Amino acid sequence: MKRRYVGCWIVLIFLFAGFSKAFAADDDFAAQAKPFRLVRAAMCESIEGYEPKHVAAAFSINVGRISCYSAFAGVAQTTYVQHKWFRRDELVTAKRLTLKPPSWATYSSVQLRDDDKGPWRVEILNAEDELIQTMRFSVVD
Amino acid sequence: MNFLLAFLHSIRWQDIVDILLNGYILFRLYVLFRGTNVIRVLVGIALLWIFQRIAVTLGLIVTSWAMQGIIAGAALIIVIVFRNEIRNVLQAKNLKALLWDFPHKAVRTPIDSIVEGVYELARTRTGALIVIPGKDDLDEIIQGGVTWGGLISKEMLLSIFYNGNPVHDGAAILENNRVTRVGAILPLSLRDDLPQYYGTRHRAAVGMAEQSDALVIVVSEERGQVVAAKGQTFVPIYDNLSLKKTLAAHVGAGGANNQGIQRERRELAVAAAICFLCMAGVWFSIAKGMETLTSVEVPLEYSNRDSGMQIISTSVNTVRLHLSGSSALIGSLRADQVKAKLDLRTAVNGMNLFSLSRDNITLPPGVRLNRIEPPEVQVALDVPTRKELPVQVDWVGALPDGLVLESVSVTPTRLVAIGTKGLLEQISTLYTEKVKLDRLTASGQVDVSVVTKTGVRLAGDSPAQGKVTVRYTIRRRDA
Repeated sequence: MKRRYVGCWIVLIFLFAGFSKAFAADDDFAAQAKPFRLVRAAMCESIEGYEPKHVAAAFSINVGRISCYSAFAGVAQTTYVQHKWFRRDELVTAKRLTLKPPSWATYSSVQLRDDDKGPWRVEILNAEDELIQTMRFSVVD
Repeated sequence: MNFLLAFLHSIRWQDIVDILLNGYILFRLYVLFRGTNVIRVLVGIALLWIFQRIAVTLGLIVTSWAMQGIIAGAALIIVIVFRNEIRNVLQAKNLKALLWDFPHKAVRTPIDSIVEGVYELARTRTGALIVIPGKDDLDEIIQGGVTWGGLISKEMLLSIFYNGNPVHDGAAILENNRVTRVGAILPLSLRDDLPQYYGTRHRAAVGMAEQSDALVIVVSEERGQVVAAKGQTFVPIYDNLSLKKTLAAHVGAGGANNQGIQRERRELAVAAAICFLCMAGVWFSIAKGMETLTSVEVPLEYSNRDSGMQIISTSVNTVRLHLSGSSALIGSLRADQVKAKLDLRTAVNGMNLFSLSRDNITLPPGVRLNRIEPPEVQVALDVPTRKELPVQVDWVGALPDGLVLESVSVTPTRLVAIGTKGLLEQISTLYTEKVKLDRLTASGQVDVSVVTKTGVRLAGDSPAQGKVTVRYTIRRRDA
């Protein structure tokens, strides 16, 4: 009787181990198909304590510096994203930012000059140069 | 040579008509008034007018004014002084005579009076020497004499050669219908083949005939014989009909083939040529003499473009035309009279280079094109395509202190733009018109237009085309 119980436990353990491996394989597949996701993006005047400060859609030129904050989750392995800054349709700068598993927040900034007034956008792209999100804002008086 | 060709090219048909019409009017005035004193005064006025134009050209202001005044006064004087002549011309003649008829000049030499006078002198055996000039000027051949001026008549001739008259020994010169000089001394002929019985009077007649084209009539005092000398011929005249014929042939009143008609025709032809030349001169003086240069900037119109393509860019949208012409034409030039057009029928997709020439420019008659600036135009064409683009608000100004524009949303978020492929490739966002932040104090919404670049338009025909609704959130700024 005791042997029978032991045998059952062994079978159950093998079955559990088999299911676990199978589920683990599914998780890897999911991780490869959807490597990470953008959980938050914001345009702000500064970053304090890894959090965007003074988030807005229009910034005074007097602020002097603005930042694009982006936070990602589900980062399976070290990778990178790009922040491409455009003033109207003209590329001003492109910044490559590293992401590390499992979640990562990062940002890029630009220094404003007097003739930087106007509509801006920041394109957030993954390592494959695929557009993840566009942040639109204006630099005003 | 090129200038001459350009000049001839610039002459309009209206100019030719202008010159011909006025030249003919001038010629008709000459035809109608020739032989009268009016024509001489008209010539004087024409000379004054020429002087006035020269004075204007030289900038002699007072002189040109004075000339103008004299011309105006002279024109008035003509009408008053020569009113009878003008009335005769205008009243006595019919429309045909006024417009195109050529009345033959009346033979003014009274042949009958001369014939009668000469034969009366012959009958009474009164010696006489009569000179009827041709075309040659006799002033250098004839010497002495007394200026006369009396009208020719039988009695006048008889009295001139009357033995008791102090001037009866010389020659009488008959011009037209007047005895212009009497007692004139003629050159003697040195010929030795003349009959012995010919005296000094005959020798003078032969000498005169030899040295000129005048007809000289001699009446012999001894024999009462009449002799006519012309050129190298020296023939006796035995009857008055022969004398009349000889006289008529000389003064041009004979048959149809006589020299008088030919001479009159030549005179009219020369007068016509002078009239047309004068009028051409006047026309060039007025219309072309005051040549004016100007330059105008006109829009370049592109036409006949392939409907499947759009003009992306052009190197110029206006061209500067350097024009010349008479000041009157240049002064009256209107903007709608000058056009610059470029035919894009042969244009292809991509960049096209066209040379501008006279064919591209429309000008009013009489105005010449000297230069086009620039001489070449680049036109880029492309096929139009559609592209869906996000819309972004173009904020300007500044929010009141302490406020922050937190978020903005645009509805619709995307619009379809239509334009050339090349243009749309350069555009990734459509921007609204500038929206002022200064008056915004709280969250709300506003409808604004979307602004597109030249060559790009938005799809759709609705009245709200190109309008988007902007919703914005405003909050107090964090400390």
